[in-house]
This record gives sequence, structure tokens and C-alpha cells, in this order.
Amino acid sequence: MRLSALLSAARPRLPPGYRHGMWPPDSMAARLRNPPGQRRRKVFVEPIAKDDWKVFKGDTVQVLAGKDAGKQGLVTQVVQARNWVVVEGLNTHYRYVNRTAKYSGTYIASEAPLLLSQICLVDPEDRKPTEVEWRYTEEGERVRVSLRSGRILPVPPQPRQDGIVPEQWIGEWDGSGGWEDVTGDTGGQRCPLTHTDGPKDTSEEDALAKTYRPSLKTFEEEIMDAMGIVETRRAKKSYWY
Amino acid sequence: MGLLTQLVRGLVRGADRVSPFTSKRGPRSHNKGRGAKKLGVLTRNKKFLLVKEMVPEFVVPDLTGFKLRPYVSYRAAEGSEPPMTARQLFDELVAPRIEKDVKDGTFDPNNLEKYGFEPTQEGKLFQLFPKNYVR
Repeated sequence: MRLSALLSAARPRLPPGYRHGMWPPDSMAARLRNPPGQRRRKVFVEPIAKDDWKVFKGDTVQVLAGKDAGKQGLVTQVVQARNWVVVEGLNTHYRYVNRTAKYSGTYIASEAPLLLSQICLVDPEDRKPTEVEWRYTEEGERVRVSLRSGRILPVPPQPRQDGIVPEQWIGEWDGSGGWEDVTGDTGGQRCPLTHTDGPKDTSEEDALAKTYRPSLKTFEEEIMDAMGIVETRRAKKSYWY
Repeated sequence: MGLLTQLVRGLVRGADRVSPFTSKRGPRSHNKGRGAKKLGVLTRNKKFLLVKEMVPEFVVPDLTGFKLRPYVSYRAAEGSEPPMTARQLFDELVAPRIEKDVKDGTFDPNNLEKYGFEPTQEGKLFQLFPKNYVR
């Protein structure tokens, strides 16, 4: 029972004592710090239901506590399991990356995560911090509403789970360009060729072209006419109950 | 490190009692099929007679110059058209012809077959109800 359950898991189920970090769960860093069989002291977080979660990637928030209190920034990462929010450029500490035996490493600023209690969402027009609540519009849509002014805070467009940005996707690759064509955040993909259509991809124009012509014949009858198949035999009548 | 960690490492205690006992398991004398249909009839001499009509045959039209491929580019916008209904089909194909005939004065309510009306599904190769083809 346990073997088949382990084998049939398409999505790797995280063990109960898993300690979440800022890294994605299927990265090298996660596997290093969370080897199977590790048991660590439990980190207690304020339980917040998934439906009540208000802060998303791409939101503007104001930091209320810490070194950069009072500053506003964009959210770059959200870790719901630990109520963490990483704001770009704020609450930073400095460290060295890419150290080798000969090279002392690059000195960069790395952001530390902030808890939800140290963060406040910002009204889009006022640019002042507000309390936010989930409410329903008259059309029935669930939106975030600022309690102070009543304005709606639209949820910013979330990136896809597979990290693909359709705007940066090149259609048919004609062989021109190369590494210099890859612009913006590749989300971990380095090779420019992964951003193009492959040989098994339908191009955008062909996929959206409307070629359906309605007819009273069924699909099978149309194919028979197109291929010139003549079938005079008929199936014997059968009954079922 | 106890039983829990050993389980997590993939060491299982005892045989797997829950997964199905397929033809891939068991001794060599265990001969089991995987649910394939019999494509013919077994005669009294234990000889198997294949019935050609039961053998499925794929009828594939010529796909040269066919532009659609298995996958779709990520650039194509998401969305779909509303599904085709019987009313829509009627409005697009049959209604104009009936209107033309009514204007010309040649509409005959007893001869609706020329617009595609089928009083019964008997005698048709692909019957719509009860559906006798696989789609």
C-alpha cells in the first residue's frame, strides 16, 4: 500500500514536518535543506485560510516594521506556508554569492522575508496603507476592497505555474537572433530556443483560424465522402435493456 | 530514526497487498490477459476464426498540408467558441432554404426530406439516436 502510494504521486507530497524556505520545493536548495527523514522543530505561523489570503505577487505593499519601515515596494515572492512576503529591495541584508576558492564572491543585497503582520496593502490611488477585506461586487465577483476608502484593489496578473511568459514567447523561429534576443526575466530558462514554437506546435494564426463549416452530415460521413468510401452493408438490429 | 523514517526512505515492510495483481506479477505460470476484446469466434475444434469486421481499422484522410499540430503555441490567446447547438445548426443551414422556398411559394410541408429532415434513423449507417458509432 505504501509503495504504490509513493509511486503514484504525480505531485510530490511534502512530508508533514517540512520547513518551507524562500526557494521552490523542487529545487536543489530545497533538497539540500530538507533531506527525507529530517525532523526539525515546528515553526508556528498564524493560521490563515487559503481563501482569506490578501497579498499576491506584484502587489504594492508598505512595510510597517523593521529596518525599512514606512517604505513601499513590490512583492516579488509569497510563501503562504510561513505567512511570508518578500518585497523587492526592502529589508535587505548583504552577502557574498558565487564564492570560489580564488574569487571572494559578489557582494549583493538579498531581501529577507517579512511576515504578514509587518506588511500592509496600499490603496492604489491614495498610495497610503489601508486595511483590506474580501468582498463581493454586484456582479458576484470576489474582490479586495480597501476599508478606508472603499476602492477596489485589483489582484495583479499572476505568473503561470510553469514560468512561461506568453508575451515573450516567439512564434515560428526563423533562425535569426540568439542569446541576445532573450530579454527580461527568463524565469530560470537560459536557452533562447526554449522560448519558441517547436515542430509539434500549431502556430498562433493556425490555432485561431476558424475553419469550421457547419453541415448536416456527421464527421464520419464527411470523411467517407471525402475519401470516396462506399458502405452498403448495414449493422444487424440489436437490442439492449 | 525509526519505522517512520524507514517508510519515508521507501523500504516497505511486507508485500504490496493493495495494488492490482496484474499479469506483470506472479510466477511464470500466472497467465492473465489485460482486457483485450476477442476479435472472432472460437470453433468447436478449438481453432480461432478471425472476423475481419471486428478488427478495428483506422480510416485516416490524407493529412498533407494540414496545418493543425498536436500542441498549440503559448502565444495563442485562451478562450473558446460557444458549443454548436441544434438550433444554431438549423438557423445557419436549413432556415435560409425554407425561407427561400416559402417566398417562392414552393414550400411543401409533406416533403421536408429535401431540407435534411430524417423521419427515422433506420437504414442509416451512422444513426444519431441510439448512437451506433464511437466518437
